[in-house]
Amino acid sequence: MPLITLHNIEKIYKTDGAETKALAGVSFSIEKGEFTALMGQSGSGKSTLLHIIGFLDEQSSGTYSFESKISADYGAKEIARVRNERIGFVFQSFNLLAQTSVLENVKLPLLYSKVKKAEWNERACAAIHAVGLSHRVSHESSKLSGGEKQRTAIARVLVMSPALILADEPTGNLDSASGKAVMDILTTLNKEEGHTIIVITHDTNIARYAHRVLTISDGLIVADTQQ
Amino acid sequence: MSPLITLKIAATGLRANKFRSILTILGIVIGITAIMLVMAVGSGANKLILSQVQGIGSNMLVVVPGQEAKGPSQFSMFFIDSLKEPEVKALRSKANVPTAIDVTPWQIVPGSISYKGETFQPTTFGTTEQFAEVMSLNPIDGRFFTEDEVQNRANVAVIGTNVKEELFGSATALEEKVKIKGTLFRVVGILPQKGNMLFFNVDDLVAIPYTSAETYLTGKSYFNEIIVRAENESLVDRTVYDISLTLREIHGITNTDKDDFHIHTQKDLVDRIGLITGIMTALLSSIAAISLIVGGIGIMNIMLVSVTERTREIGLRKAVGATDGNIMGQFLLEAMLLTGIGGILGVLGGALLSFATSLVLSKMLNISWEFTFPLNAALLGIGVSS
Repeated sequence: MPLITLHNIEKIYKTDGAETKALAGVSFSIEKGEFTALMGQSGSGKSTLLHIIGFLDEQSSGTYSFESKISADYGAKEIARVRNERIGFVFQSFNLLAQTSVLENVKLPLLYSKVKKAEWNERACAAIHAVGLSHRVSHESSKLSGGEKQRTAIARVLVMSPALILADEPTGNLDSASGKAVMDILTTLNKEEGHTIIVITHDTNIARYAHRVLTISDGLIVADTQQ
Repeated sequence: MSPLITLKIAATGLRANKFRSILTILGIVIGITAIMLVMAVGSGANKLILSQVQGIGSNMLVVVPGQEAKGPSQFSMFFIDSLKEPEVKALRSKANVPTAIDVTPWQIVPGSISYKGETFQPTTFGTTEQFAEVMSLNPIDGRFFTEDEVQNRANVAVIGTNVKEELFGSATALEEKVKIKGTLFRVVGILPQKGNMLFFNVDDLVAIPYTSAETYLTGKSYFNEIIVRAENESLVDRTVYDISLTLREIHGITNTDKDDFHIHTQKDLVDRIGLITGIMTALLSSIAAISLIVGGIGIMNIMLVSVTERTREIGLRKAVGATDGNIMGQFLLEAMLLTGIGGILGVLGGALLSFATSLVLSKMLNISWEFTFPLNAALLGIGVSS
């Protein structure tokens, strides 16, 4: 049973009357526990695709199913719950709350969850420990290094232990050592915890961590290779 | 999500933007403080003026010559000589106005007063011995002139403290002779220091018998006003009625539209003054309200900028599971926290400043300025800001 299935997904943006087709009929599915890299040039439609998979955007046509339920059947509250419990995002620019501690940042998804408040600190600390930032728990997020920021962002994902982790160029703003550390964490999460991971990248070195590489060009999947 | 967590999120949001939060709160504080200060000073002034008017007795009424001016073309000067001694006598008659305790006429005597080369420009009234009692002006030194002195056109004068200071300095003034328009008057009493009372300054006052004023100084036999005291407040209307009937009878007036006099009661005066101070307060309040509205628009602007500026944060919160309602709740609560904190600080600041102002005014102007907490302004301020 695939975790996600996309069938003939199209996305059309309309600006000032002009139509831009970001996705021109994308179809594929990803099984539970897969580690997939999504590669492509800038403007090829990678991020649009990731946003649709993460329920941050809606397709113009086609069907998308997450955990065997098509996206149209999800209500607004249910989508919020899926984003909270089932899907975790890692962004290129980290997207941490400035002037807020690592702990508070990691606890952010818990605020919107059904997890009991008494468990928040324990869960957040465990997630921070898992990314090796225990010594930075009460540090202000803006004072961390790039690698530490991204690891905080990964801890923020781990705190809810989602089925699917979507990472949009997670190493794009990092030096190679920090990038490697982040990818090692993602690999461990995939191997040991069984998280399904989709990583957007245009770096072939990063794509090597994945089992499968989907190449997208002009809004279409042009290659689907196992490695 | 529990309200407590929403509150925590909102508080975190404000803490993360400390400087902007402080500036916003400052805007609200200034707006509310301004409106409270203005309204407190307005209502303080209102109370002060009303207390002065009420100080002269709620049973008092004033008969004024001429018709009440309802516009420049009807100015009361036309009938200026309609109140003379026969009218005073008629009003004093218990047969005509049984509810009047006393009837005190006065006329203004223009001109200066001098003593041994020192000159002063006083407010001089020619009046009767009852003036002191009616106006609650018992001399602190000496005495007021007597009924006999009024009847005998005696050259006696009672002077205010400023007049005494200017002419005599620290020397004694009693029994000294001062010159008013070339005629010598003997000082028999010094009035207490009272400052402004109604339309004249007691400290600048010189009171002399009206008979003497007529005979030696003005040559005019009519009065500027007749002050009548009714037995009590509830008899004021009856007294007004009796006075009107008496004066119409003497003057042969059948059509009340042609009255050559009009009567002010203290209630009229209070109403008029209340109207004037009310207009002043409304004027000042509207200026303060504008500042509050400008402040409010400022907050709206900041919140709008904040929402636009924080789209990344909103996106992140949605990505980690916030619903639209959560986001809306957070921003509304942030705004409410800002206005709430600003409102409380503004009310405190306004109350404190109003109190300080009342102290300063009391000290500087030597008046009993009463501090009033402008509750309506506080409510208005908080209402508009939230």
